[in-house]
Amino acid sequence: MKQRLCMLVLIIVLVHVPIAAYAGTPLETVKGHVDRVLDVLRDSSLKGESATKIKKDKIRTISDRMFDYTELSRRTLGQNWKRFGTEQQKEFIELYKSILEGAYIDRIMSYTNEKILFNRENPLSEKTTEVQTTILTKKADIPISYRMIRKGDEWRVYDVIIEGVSLISNYRTQFSQILGNKSPEGLLDTLRKKAGKA
Amino acid sequence: MKLMIPLSLILIFFLLSPLPVSADIASTTEGIPSVQNDDISKSSDREAIDETEIELPADPPADDTGDIFEEEAEEEAVQIADPLYPWNKAMYHVNDKLYFWLMKPLAQGYSIVVPEDARISVSNFFNNITTPIRFVSSLLQFKIKDAGNELLRFVYNSTAGVCGLVDAAKEDLGIKQQDEDLGQTLGSYGIGHGFYLVWPFLGPSSLRDTVGRIGDRFLDPVHYVNPTEASVGITVYDKVNETSFRIGDYEDLKKSAIDPYVSIRDAYLQYRKKKVED
Repeated sequence: MKQRLCMLVLIIVLVHVPIAAYAGTPLETVKGHVDRVLDVLRDSSLKGESATKIKKDKIRTISDRMFDYTELSRRTLGQNWKRFGTEQQKEFIELYKSILEGAYIDRIMSYTNEKILFNRENPLSEKTTEVQTTILTKKADIPISYRMIRKGDEWRVYDVIIEGVSLISNYRTQFSQILGNKSPEGLLDTLRKKAGKA
Repeated sequence: MKLMIPLSLILIFFLLSPLPVSADIASTTEGIPSVQNDDISKSSDREAIDETEIELPADPPADDTGDIFEEEAEEEAVQIADPLYPWNKAMYHVNDKLYFWLMKPLAQGYSIVVPEDARISVSNFFNNITTPIRFVSSLLQFKIKDAGNELLRFVYNSTAGVCGLVDAAKEDLGIKQQDEDLGQTLGSYGIGHGFYLVWPFLGPSSLRDTVGRIGDRFLDPVHYVNPTEASVGITVYDKVNETSFRIGDYEDLKKSAIDPYVSIRDAYLQYRKKKVED
Protein backbone atom coordinates (compact mmCIF):
# COMPACT_ATOMS: atom_id res chain seq x y z
CA MET A 1 0.00 0.00 0.00
CA LYS A 2 2.71 2.38 1.05
CA GLN A 3 4.67 1.42 -2.04
CA ARG A 4 1.73 2.18 -4.23
CA LEU A 5 1.30 5.57 -2.67
CA CYS A 6 4.95 6.23 -3.26
CA MET A 7 4.58 5.29 -6.89
CA LEU A 8 1.58 7.57 -7.23
CA VAL A 9 3.43 10.48 -5.68
CA LEU A 10 6.41 9.78 -7.88
CA ILE A 11 4.28 9.73 -11.01
CA ILE A 12 2.57 12.98 -10.09
CA VAL A 13 5.91 14.60 -9.35
CA LEU A 14 7.44 13.34 -12.59
CA VAL A 15 4.53 14.53 -14.66
CA HIS A 16 4.23 17.99 -13.15
CA VAL A 17 7.64 19.08 -12.06
CA PRO A 18 9.26 19.35 -15.48
CA ILE A 19 6.48 21.62 -16.71
CA ALA A 20 6.87 23.97 -13.77
CA ALA A 21 10.65 24.03 -13.64
CA TYR A 22 11.45 23.82 -17.32
CA ALA A 23 9.53 26.09 -19.64
CA GLY A 24 10.75 24.37 -22.78
CA THR A 25 12.81 25.41 -25.74
CA PRO A 26 11.74 28.40 -27.84
CA LEU A 27 10.56 26.04 -30.58
CA GLU A 28 8.48 24.01 -28.15
CA THR A 29 7.04 27.23 -26.73
CA VAL A 30 5.94 28.53 -30.13
CA LYS A 31 4.58 25.14 -31.12
CA GLY A 32 2.65 24.96 -27.85
CA HIS A 33 1.03 28.35 -28.39
CA VAL A 34 0.25 27.69 -32.05
CA ASP A 35 -1.24 24.29 -31.20
CA ARG A 36 -3.45 25.90 -28.57
CA VAL A 37 -4.65 28.46 -31.11
CA LEU A 38 -5.38 25.67 -33.62
CA ASP A 39 -7.32 23.77 -30.95
CA VAL A 40 -9.49 26.84 -30.40
CA LEU A 41 -10.05 27.26 -34.15
CA ARG A 42 -10.94 23.61 -34.62
CA ASP A 43 -13.22 23.45 -31.59
CA SER A 44 -16.42 22.26 -33.23
CA SER A 45 -18.45 22.74 -30.05
CA LEU A 46 -18.19 26.48 -30.71
CA LYS A 47 -20.43 27.51 -33.56
CA GLY A 48 -22.35 30.53 -34.77
CA GLU A 49 -21.98 34.24 -34.10
CA SER A 50 -21.33 34.08 -30.38
CA ALA A 51 -18.70 31.39 -30.95
CA THR A 52 -16.62 33.76 -33.07
CA LYS A 53 -16.42 36.16 -30.16
CA ILE A 54 -15.54 33.38 -27.70
CA LYS A 55 -12.88 32.06 -30.05
CA LYS A 56 -11.40 35.51 -30.52
CA ASP A 57 -11.28 36.04 -26.76
CA LYS A 58 -9.55 32.71 -26.26
CA ILE A 59 -6.99 33.52 -28.95
CA ARG A 60 -6.34 36.91 -27.31
CA THR A 61 -5.63 35.14 -24.03
CA ILE A 62 -3.12 32.88 -25.75
CA SER A 63 -1.49 35.80 -27.56
CA ASP A 64 -1.02 37.59 -24.20
CA ARG A 65 1.07 34.64 -23.03
CA MET A 66 2.84 34.22 -26.34
CA PHE A 67 3.90 37.84 -27.01
CA ASP A 68 5.85 40.24 -24.86
CA TYR A 69 4.07 43.42 -25.88
CA THR A 70 6.36 45.63 -23.81
CA GLU A 71 9.45 44.28 -25.53
CA LEU A 72 7.67 44.46 -28.87
CA SER A 73 6.74 48.12 -28.28
CA ARG A 74 10.21 49.11 -27.04
CA ARG A 75 11.87 47.55 -30.04
CA THR A 76 9.37 49.06 -32.43
CA LEU A 77 9.94 52.59 -31.19
CA GLY A 78 13.70 52.11 -30.82
CA GLN A 79 15.32 55.40 -29.89
CA ASN A 80 11.96 57.12 -29.77
CA TRP A 81 10.93 54.97 -26.79
CA LYS A 82 12.71 57.34 -24.42
CA ARG A 83 10.75 60.31 -25.67
CA PHE A 84 7.65 58.75 -24.13
CA GLY A 85 6.81 59.22 -20.46
CA THR A 86 5.96 56.20 -18.31
CA GLU A 87 2.21 56.74 -18.70
CA GLN A 88 2.59 57.37 -22.42
CA GLN A 89 4.60 54.17 -22.79
CA LYS A 90 1.87 52.24 -21.02
CA GLU A 91 -0.80 53.69 -23.26
CA PHE A 92 1.31 53.10 -26.35
CA ILE A 93 1.69 49.40 -25.48
CA GLU A 94 -2.05 49.01 -24.99
CA LEU A 95 -3.00 50.85 -28.21
CA TYR A 96 -0.36 49.09 -30.30
CA LYS A 97 -1.45 45.72 -28.95
CA SER A 98 -5.08 46.44 -29.70
CA ILE A 99 -4.25 47.56 -33.26
CA LEU A 100 -2.14 44.45 -33.90
CA GLU A 101 -4.78 42.12 -32.53
CA GLY A 102 -7.52 43.83 -34.50
CA ALA A 103 -5.49 43.55 -37.69
CA TYR A 104 -4.38 39.95 -37.40
CA ILE A 105 -7.17 38.12 -35.61
CA ASP A 106 -9.35 37.86 -38.72
CA ARG A 107 -6.37 36.47 -40.58
CA ILE A 108 -5.92 33.83 -37.90
CA MET A 109 -9.65 33.05 -37.89
CA SER A 110 -9.51 32.41 -41.65
CA TYR A 111 -7.13 29.49 -41.11
CA THR A 112 -8.34 26.40 -42.96
CA ASN A 113 -6.29 23.42 -41.89
CA GLU A 114 -3.04 24.30 -43.67
CA LYS A 115 -0.12 22.28 -42.43
CA ILE A 116 2.41 24.11 -40.26
CA LEU A 117 6.03 22.98 -40.03
CA PHE A 118 8.22 23.98 -37.09
CA ASN A 119 11.59 23.88 -38.77
CA ARG A 120 14.39 25.06 -36.55
CA GLU A 121 15.80 27.47 -34.01
CA ASN A 122 18.32 30.04 -35.06
CA PRO A 123 19.96 31.71 -32.03
CA LEU A 124 20.42 35.46 -32.48
CA SER A 125 22.10 36.42 -29.22
CA GLU A 126 22.44 35.14 -25.68
CA LYS A 127 18.88 36.05 -24.81
CA THR A 128 17.19 36.01 -28.20
CA THR A 129 16.47 33.40 -30.80
CA GLU A 130 14.44 32.92 -33.95
CA VAL A 131 12.03 30.03 -34.47
CA GLN A 132 11.49 29.32 -38.14
CA THR A 133 8.19 27.85 -39.27
CA THR A 134 6.50 27.31 -42.63
CA ILE A 135 2.82 27.30 -43.47
CA LEU A 136 2.14 24.98 -46.39
CA THR A 137 -0.74 26.26 -48.48
CA LYS A 138 -1.90 24.65 -51.69
CA LYS A 139 -0.48 27.55 -53.63
CA ALA A 140 2.82 28.22 -51.90
CA ASP A 141 4.91 27.72 -48.79
CA ILE A 142 4.90 30.78 -46.55
CA PRO A 143 7.89 31.19 -44.21
CA ILE A 144 7.05 32.71 -40.83
CA SER A 145 9.69 33.31 -38.16
CA TYR A 146 9.11 34.20 -34.55
CA ARG A 147 11.81 36.21 -32.79
CA MET A 148 11.84 35.42 -29.10
CA ILE A 149 13.47 36.74 -25.97
CA ARG A 150 14.08 34.93 -22.72
CA LYS A 151 12.23 36.57 -19.84
CA GLY A 152 12.84 34.71 -16.58
CA ASP A 153 12.31 31.08 -17.49
CA GLU A 154 9.92 31.84 -20.33
CA TRP A 155 10.43 32.56 -24.00
CA ARG A 156 8.23 35.34 -25.35
CA VAL A 157 7.74 36.53 -28.93
CA TYR A 158 8.76 40.12 -29.75
CA ASP A 159 8.71 40.05 -33.56
CA VAL A 160 7.09 38.08 -36.35
CA ILE A 161 8.74 37.90 -39.76
CA ILE A 162 6.50 36.89 -42.63
CA GLU A 163 8.22 36.26 -45.96
CA GLY A 164 11.20 38.30 -44.84
CA VAL A 165 9.12 41.26 -43.65
CA SER A 166 9.60 42.06 -39.98
CA LEU A 167 6.49 43.30 -38.25
CA ILE A 168 8.29 45.63 -35.84
CA SER A 169 10.59 47.04 -38.52
CA ASN A 170 7.59 47.82 -40.67
CA TYR A 171 5.83 49.68 -37.86
CA ARG A 172 9.08 51.35 -36.78
CA THR A 173 9.38 52.99 -40.20
CA GLN A 174 5.80 54.23 -39.97
CA PHE A 175 6.10 55.50 -36.39
CA SER A 176 9.46 57.22 -37.04
CA GLN A 177 7.93 59.13 -39.86
CA ILE A 178 5.00 60.25 -37.74
CA LEU A 179 7.26 61.12 -34.79
CA GLY A 180 9.32 63.28 -37.10
CA ASN A 181 6.40 65.65 -37.43
CA LYS A 182 4.54 65.05 -34.21
CA SER A 183 5.16 64.71 -30.50
CA PRO A 184 4.66 61.35 -28.75
CA GLU A 185 1.24 62.65 -27.70
CA GLY A 186 0.46 63.28 -31.37
CA LEU A 187 1.37 59.69 -32.25
CA LEU A 188 -0.75 58.40 -29.37
CA ASP A 189 -3.64 60.45 -30.73
CA THR A 190 -3.23 58.89 -34.18
CA LEU A 191 -3.16 55.45 -32.58
CA ARG A 192 -6.22 56.19 -30.45
CA LYS A 193 -8.14 57.04 -33.60
CA LYS A 194 -6.85 53.93 -35.35
CA ALA A 195 -7.80 51.74 -32.40
CA GLY A 196 -11.19 53.40 -32.19
CA LYS A 197 -10.47 54.83 -28.74
CA ALA A 198 -10.39 58.51 -29.56
CA MET B 1 17.77 34.38 -82.88
CA LYS B 2 15.03 36.61 -81.62
CA LEU B 3 16.25 36.01 -78.10
CA MET B 4 19.82 36.98 -78.89
CA ILE B 5 19.13 40.70 -79.13
CA PRO B 6 17.56 41.09 -75.68
CA LEU B 7 20.18 38.81 -74.18
CA SER B 8 23.01 40.87 -75.60
CA LEU B 9 21.26 44.02 -74.40
CA ILE B 10 21.21 42.65 -70.89
CA LEU B 11 24.84 41.67 -71.12
CA ILE B 12 25.75 45.14 -72.31
CA PHE B 13 23.82 46.59 -69.41
CA PHE B 14 25.73 44.45 -66.95
CA LEU B 15 29.04 45.37 -68.50
CA LEU B 16 28.25 49.06 -68.41
CA SER B 17 26.80 49.21 -64.94
CA PRO B 18 29.38 50.19 -62.35
CA LEU B 19 29.22 47.69 -59.52
CA PRO B 20 29.22 49.71 -56.33
CA VAL B 21 26.57 52.19 -57.41
CA SER B 22 25.24 52.30 -53.94
CA ALA B 23 26.22 50.54 -50.80
CA ASP B 24 22.78 50.17 -49.34
CA ILE B 25 22.93 46.38 -49.24
CA ALA B 26 26.02 46.48 -47.13
CA SER B 27 25.06 49.44 -45.05
CA THR B 28 21.60 48.22 -44.21
CA THR B 29 22.86 44.99 -42.72
CA GLU B 30 25.39 46.91 -40.67
CA GLY B 31 22.57 48.84 -39.13
CA ILE B 32 21.93 52.49 -39.47
CA PRO B 33 21.85 54.07 -36.05
CA SER B 34 18.77 56.10 -36.63
CA VAL B 35 15.83 55.50 -38.85
CA GLN B 36 13.58 58.40 -38.35
CA ASN B 37 15.59 61.28 -39.69
CA ASP B 38 15.67 60.26 -43.29
CA ASP B 39 12.10 59.14 -43.54
CA ILE B 40 10.59 62.22 -42.08
CA SER B 41 12.33 64.52 -44.40
CA LYS B 42 10.65 62.76 -47.29
CA SER B 43 7.22 63.87 -46.30
CA SER B 44 7.99 67.15 -44.65
CA ASP B 45 10.33 68.73 -47.12
CA ARG B 46 10.73 66.30 -49.89
CA GLU B 47 11.71 69.01 -52.33
CA ALA B 48 15.07 69.19 -50.69
CA ILE B 49 15.75 65.53 -51.02
CA ASP B 50 18.44 64.43 -53.32
CA GLU B 51 20.48 62.28 -51.03
CA THR B 52 20.82 58.56 -51.37
CA GLU B 53 19.70 56.09 -48.80
CA ILE B 54 22.91 56.26 -46.85
CA GLU B 55 22.72 59.27 -44.71
CA LEU B 56 24.24 60.22 -41.44
CA PRO B 57 21.56 60.60 -38.83
CA ALA B 58 20.81 64.02 -37.52
CA ASP B 59 21.66 64.66 -33.91
CA PRO B 60 19.47 62.67 -31.59
CA PRO B 61 17.45 64.54 -29.00
CA ALA B 62 19.67 66.02 -26.31
CA ASP B 63 18.48 63.70 -23.55
CA ASP B 64 18.85 60.63 -25.70
CA THR B 65 21.84 58.55 -24.72
CA GLY B 66 21.75 55.55 -27.01
CA ASP B 67 22.47 52.16 -25.50
CA ILE B 68 23.18 48.71 -26.83
CA PHE B 69 19.51 47.89 -26.87
CA GLU B 70 18.75 50.56 -29.44
CA GLU B 71 21.42 49.34 -31.80
CA GLU B 72 20.16 45.82 -31.52
CA ALA B 73 16.61 46.91 -32.08
CA GLU B 74 17.39 48.79 -35.24
CA GLU B 75 19.86 46.43 -36.78
CA GLU B 76 17.53 45.70 -39.63
CA ALA B 77 16.68 49.20 -40.69
CA VAL B 78 16.27 49.31 -44.44
CA GLN B 79 15.91 52.65 -46.11
CA ILE B 80 15.36 54.02 -49.56
CA ALA B 81 15.33 57.49 -51.05
CA ASP B 82 11.96 58.63 -52.32
CA PRO B 83 12.64 61.72 -54.45
CA LEU B 84 9.67 60.97 -56.71
CA TYR B 85 7.30 60.93 -53.73
CA PRO B 86 4.52 62.93 -55.48
CA TRP B 87 4.48 60.53 -58.45
CA ASN B 88 4.76 57.48 -56.21
CA LYS B 89 1.99 58.61 -53.90
CA ALA B 90 -0.26 59.33 -56.89
CA MET B 91 0.48 55.89 -58.35
CA TYR B 92 -0.18 54.34 -54.97
CA HIS B 93 -3.68 55.82 -55.10
CA VAL B 94 -4.13 54.73 -58.73
CA ASN B 95 -3.17 51.16 -57.80
CA ASP B 96 -5.45 51.26 -54.79
CA LYS B 97 -8.40 52.15 -57.02
CA LEU B 98 -7.31 49.68 -59.71
CA TYR B 99 -7.38 46.97 -57.08
CA PHE B 100 -10.75 47.77 -55.52
CA TRP B 101 -12.56 48.78 -58.71
CA LEU B 102 -11.04 46.40 -61.24
CA MET B 103 -8.69 43.64 -60.13
CA LYS B 104 -10.57 42.56 -57.02
CA PRO B 105 -14.02 42.25 -58.66
CA LEU B 106 -12.43 40.51 -61.66
CA ALA B 107 -10.52 38.08 -59.48
CA GLN B 108 -13.53 37.44 -57.27
CA GLY B 109 -15.80 36.66 -60.21
CA TYR B 110 -13.08 34.55 -61.78
CA SER B 111 -12.49 32.53 -58.62
CA ILE B 112 -16.22 31.74 -58.38
CA VAL B 113 -16.20 30.33 -61.91
CA VAL B 114 -12.80 28.63 -61.83
CA PRO B 115 -12.06 26.25 -58.95
CA GLU B 116 -8.88 26.65 -56.91
CA ASP B 117 -7.12 23.59 -58.33
CA ALA B 118 -7.53 24.89 -61.88
CA ARG B 119 -6.25 28.31 -60.85
CA ILE B 120 -3.20 26.69 -59.27
CA SER B 121 -2.59 24.88 -62.57
CA VAL B 122 -2.75 28.17 -64.43
CA SER B 123 -0.27 29.62 -61.96
CA ASN B 124 2.01 26.60 -62.41
CA PHE B 125 1.81 26.99 -66.17
CA PHE B 126 2.93 30.62 -66.06
CA ASN B 127 5.66 29.77 -63.57
CA ASN B 128 6.91 27.07 -65.91
CA ILE B 129 7.14 29.23 -69.00
CA THR B 130 9.00 31.97 -67.12
CA THR B 131 11.80 29.51 -66.35
CA PRO B 132 14.24 31.52 -68.57
CA ILE B 133 14.05 34.44 -66.09
CA ARG B 134 15.07 32.25 -63.17
CA PHE B 135 17.55 30.19 -65.18
CA VAL B 136 19.44 33.19 -66.55
CA SER B 137 19.29 35.03 -63.21
CA SER B 138 20.71 31.99 -61.40
CA LEU B 139 23.49 31.68 -63.95
CA LEU B 140 24.36 35.37 -63.70
CA GLN B 141 24.60 34.94 -59.93
CA PHE B 142 26.81 31.87 -60.44
CA LYS B 143 24.20 29.74 -58.71
CA ILE B 144 24.94 26.83 -60.99
CA LYS B 145 23.03 24.29 -58.93
CA ASP B 146 19.90 26.47 -58.90
CA ALA B 147 20.20 27.02 -62.65
CA GLY B 148 20.48 23.26 -63.16
CA ASN B 149 17.47 22.69 -60.93
CA GLU B 150 15.44 25.21 -62.90
CA LEU B 151 16.33 23.46 -66.13
CA LEU B 152 15.48 20.08 -64.64
CA ARG B 153 12.21 21.45 -63.27
CA PHE B 154 11.32 22.85 -66.69
CA VAL B 155 11.96 19.57 -68.49
CA TYR B 156 10.19 17.47 -65.87
CA ASN B 157 7.19 19.78 -65.43
CA SER B 158 6.76 20.27 -69.18
CA THR B 159 6.51 16.49 -69.63
CA ALA B 160 5.50 14.67 -66.46
CA GLY B 161 3.76 17.82 -65.28
CA VAL B 162 1.52 18.01 -68.37
CA CYS B 163 2.88 21.12 -70.09
CA GLY B 164 3.67 22.71 -66.76
CA LEU B 165 0.15 22.52 -65.35
CA VAL B 166 1.36 20.42 -62.43
CA ASP B 167 4.43 21.22 -60.36
CA ALA B 168 5.49 17.59 -60.54
CA ALA B 169 9.13 18.45 -59.89
CA LYS B 170 8.19 19.66 -56.43
CA GLU B 171 5.78 16.82 -55.72
CA ASP B 172 7.80 13.91 -57.14
CA LEU B 173 11.40 15.09 -56.99
CA GLY B 174 11.19 17.53 -54.09
CA ILE B 175 12.86 20.29 -56.15
CA LYS B 176 11.29 23.62 -55.30
CA GLN B 177 11.23 26.69 -57.49
CA GLN B 178 13.89 29.26 -56.65
CA ASP B 179 12.49 32.72 -56.99
CA GLU B 180 15.14 34.62 -58.91
CA ASP B 181 14.94 37.58 -61.25
CA LEU B 182 17.29 40.13 -62.78
CA GLY B 183 16.51 42.77 -60.14
CA GLN B 184 17.77 40.35 -57.49
CA THR B 185 20.76 39.57 -59.69
CA LEU B 186 21.69 43.26 -59.79
CA GLY B 187 21.19 43.38 -56.04
CA SER B 188 23.50 40.43 -55.57
CA TYR B 189 26.21 42.40 -57.43
CA GLY B 190 25.93 45.05 -54.74
CA ILE B 191 23.83 47.46 -56.79
CA GLY B 192 21.43 49.44 -54.61
CA HIS B 193 17.80 50.25 -55.28
CA GLY B 194 18.60 53.81 -56.36
CA PHE B 195 15.21 55.16 -55.37
CA TYR B 196 11.68 53.97 -54.78
CA LEU B 197 9.40 53.86 -57.81
CA VAL B 198 5.74 52.87 -57.97
CA TRP B 199 4.31 51.80 -61.32
CA PRO B 200 0.63 51.69 -62.17
CA PHE B 201 -0.60 48.07 -62.32
CA LEU B 202 2.85 46.66 -61.49
CA GLY B 203 3.02 48.21 -58.03
CA PRO B 204 6.04 48.97 -55.85
CA SER B 205 9.46 48.87 -57.47
CA SER B 206 12.74 50.75 -57.52
CA LEU B 207 15.10 52.04 -60.16
CA ARG B 208 17.15 48.85 -59.93
CA ASP B 209 14.19 46.51 -59.92
CA THR B 210 12.58 48.36 -62.82
CA VAL B 211 15.70 47.82 -64.91
CA GLY B 212 15.64 44.18 -63.81
CA ARG B 213 12.02 43.92 -64.71
CA ILE B 214 12.58 45.23 -68.22
CA GLY B 215 15.23 42.55 -68.66
CA ASP B 216 12.91 39.91 -67.20
CA ARG B 217 10.29 40.88 -69.73
CA PHE B 218 12.69 40.00 -72.55
CA LEU B 219 13.20 36.59 -70.99
CA ASP B 220 9.46 36.04 -70.66
CA PRO B 221 8.02 34.10 -73.65
CA VAL B 222 4.70 35.92 -73.20
CA HIS B 223 6.48 39.08 -74.36
CA TYR B 224 7.02 37.47 -77.79
CA VAL B 225 3.38 36.61 -78.37
CA ASN B 226 1.93 38.35 -81.44
CA PRO B 227 -0.03 40.60 -81.69
CA THR B 228 0.88 42.84 -78.73
CA GLU B 229 -2.77 42.93 -77.64
CA ALA B 230 -2.66 39.19 -77.08
CA SER B 231 0.58 39.51 -75.13
CA VAL B 232 -0.93 42.18 -72.89
CA GLY B 233 -4.11 40.14 -72.50
CA ILE B 234 -2.16 37.11 -71.32
CA THR B 235 -0.22 39.23 -68.85
CA VAL B 236 -3.43 40.70 -67.42
CA TYR B 237 -4.96 37.23 -67.17
CA ASP B 238 -1.89 35.99 -65.29
CA LYS B 239 -2.27 38.95 -62.93
CA VAL B 240 -5.98 38.31 -62.33
CA ASN B 241 -5.23 34.64 -61.66
CA GLU B 242 -2.52 35.54 -59.14
CA THR B 243 -4.77 38.14 -57.50
CA SER B 244 -7.43 35.47 -56.97
CA PHE B 245 -5.18 33.79 -54.38
CA ARG B 246 -4.50 37.00 -52.51
CA ILE B 247 -7.87 38.62 -52.06
CA GLY B 248 -7.85 40.02 -48.55
CA ASP B 249 -4.09 40.43 -48.21
CA TYR B 250 -4.05 44.02 -49.39
CA GLU B 251 -7.12 44.85 -47.31
CA ASP B 252 -5.41 43.41 -44.23
CA LEU B 253 -2.27 45.36 -44.93
CA LYS B 254 -4.25 48.57 -45.20
CA LYS B 255 -6.18 47.76 -42.06
CA SER B 256 -3.08 47.02 -40.01
CA ALA B 257 -1.05 49.97 -41.27
CA ILE B 258 -0.95 53.39 -39.65
CA ASP B 259 0.42 54.83 -42.91
CA PRO B 260 -0.25 52.31 -45.72
CA TYR B 261 2.05 54.06 -48.22
CA VAL B 262 5.04 53.89 -45.86
CA SER B 263 4.11 50.38 -44.76
CA ILE B 264 4.04 49.07 -48.33
CA ARG B 265 7.29 50.82 -49.22
CA ASP B 266 9.03 49.29 -46.21
CA ALA B 267 7.52 45.85 -46.81
CA TYR B 268 8.71 45.95 -50.42
CA LEU B 269 12.24 46.84 -49.34
CA GLN B 270 12.40 44.14 -46.68
CA TYR B 271 10.92 41.56 -49.03
CA ARG B 272 13.39 42.31 -51.82
CA LYS B 273 16.32 42.42 -49.40
CA LYS B 274 15.45 38.92 -48.23
CA LYS B 275 15.14 37.74 -51.83
CA VAL B 276 18.55 39.15 -52.73
CA GLU B 277 20.13 37.49 -49.71
CA ASP B 278 18.56 34.09 -50.48
